Amino acid sequence: MSERAQRLLELADDELVLGWRNSEWTGIAPSLEEDVAFSSIAQNEIGHARALYELAAADLGTTADELAFDRQPGEYRAAPLVELRFVPDWGRTIARHYLYETADEARIAALKGSSDADVAGLAAKIDREEVYHRLHAEMWVDRLLASPDGRVRLIDATRELWPYALGILDDDLRPTWAERVRERLGVDLTNGDAIARGAHADDWTALWDEMTMVRRSVPGAQW
Amino acid sequence: MDEQGFLEYVQSGGQVETDDWMPDEYRQKLIKFIEMHANSELMGVLPEREWILRAPTLQRKLALTAKVQDEVGHAQLIYRVVEDLGKPREQCLADLISGTSKFHNVFHYPTRTWGDVGVIAWLVDAAAIISQKALLKCSYAPYARIMKKICWEESFHILHGRDVILTLMLGTDGQRELVQEALNRWWAPLMMFHGNPIPAENDPVVQWRIKTQGNEEARQQFLDGYVPQIWELGLTVPDPKLRRREDGVWEYTEPDWDELRSVVTGHGPMTAERLEFRRVTREETAWVRSVVLAEAA
Repeated sequence: MSERAQRLLELADDELVLGWRNSEWTGIAPSLEEDVAFSSIAQNEIGHARALYELAAADLGTTADELAFDRQPGEYRAAPLVELRFVPDWGRTIARHYLYETADEARIAALKGSSDADVAGLAAKIDREEVYHRLHAEMWVDRLLASPDGRVRLIDATRELWPYALGILDDDLRPTWAERVRERLGVDLTNGDAIARGAHADDWTALWDEMTMVRRSVPGAQW
Repeated sequence: MDEQGFLEYVQSGGQVETDDWMPDEYRQKLIKFIEMHANSELMGVLPEREWILRAPTLQRKLALTAKVQDEVGHAQLIYRVVEDLGKPREQCLADLISGTSKFHNVFHYPTRTWGDVGVIAWLVDAAAIISQKALLKCSYAPYARIMKKICWEESFHILHGRDVILTLMLGTDGQRELVQEALNRWWAPLMMFHGNPIPAENDPVVQWRIKTQGNEEARQQFLDGYVPQIWELGLTVPDPKLRRREDGVWEYTEPDWDELRSVVTGHGPMTAERLEFRRVTREETAWVRSVVLAEAA
């Protein structure tokens, strides 16, 4: 597999799996307003995954759906951070949301400068929607930090997820992003070891099983 | 205006706004009716929500998530109408969870296969849109106004559902069987959906012109619109008595009205489990609402 296809798949798998995880909140979010908002974010992420898979699929001679559903669980390249199941824990959900969206911003900014016109164009398109995800994440961070209970939940969750969050970005982008998170949350988060791609979270197999169950029930069929 | 004058006013097509005077009985009937509608949108999320994680293509995943999101959005809009009439959302949700208020019969049943996803989006939403279109002329104007947006969105759900069904029917024998099996299970609840035939003069909701269509009229419209389409797809309706008479009236096996009564009063196959699920998820996110309320204060 080309380096380009591999990088596209990493990004697509992150967006796909996080989109799937975020969609677990649809119908049961803390308020009806938040339900609608978080569902939109989930849909955007799936949409981004689809666009990225389409780009990779053209190189690999396959389709976006086949890439999204027909690989074995071990073949996905998603970061373990997005694989974790948090419903109905809103504190962890927001911690991941913030960590992921800010890391994604750094990654997308780098891709916008890519010499590959297709990749740069798609990154710019994705970034137009990601702006709103970041605003949403920032709003929740502000809210949680402003409340004693919310603050404890957010900070505890961030500490717990930190090694996972470090696994999103490559070495070159990681330090600047990590510094930004430390400053924003006002907590000391040591660099430590990243839980990197390829080391799948325990929750992943069950999610893969569920997301592919209908499709696997009649292999090769149209749905 | 006195009560009689009000009744004549609404019966002749007059519409009422939130701040207008209205008889207490009218207000109570409105709250009960509209609250049940909002509850139904919210509880209707649960059977389909289970399939959001199992959607078999990216397109279906997006469509189903968006559909369920629409239903949550409808619940939000409709609870706001109830709130303006004097019953706060928190109270509505508490009454829903405690089983004090009701929701539509179809949302008390399980969803077992991907075939159910298609049948619900196509036929349950088709049945619902017939009721909802009749609310466009509701005597309570704020409710009638939001129904425009809701009907518009529901019509997309029907297209999505029909597309899911059509794709399955054009697929393998196993996929066609999935649809037929789902239709067999959903037919009885669908036939009960519009309620038992009550003469309009005995139905206070019709008298106040909260709804402008009788139950049987709605069911006939559903049968007329959808049975020919069901047949055209090669599906069998599980009712040997079903036929369209020469005068255009559909005959069918009398639905089990005892089952309907039992289901909507909280004894459906999935009622307890779904209400418990709502209760638990609500409890687990209660701290979030406290944080937001503290911020707003």
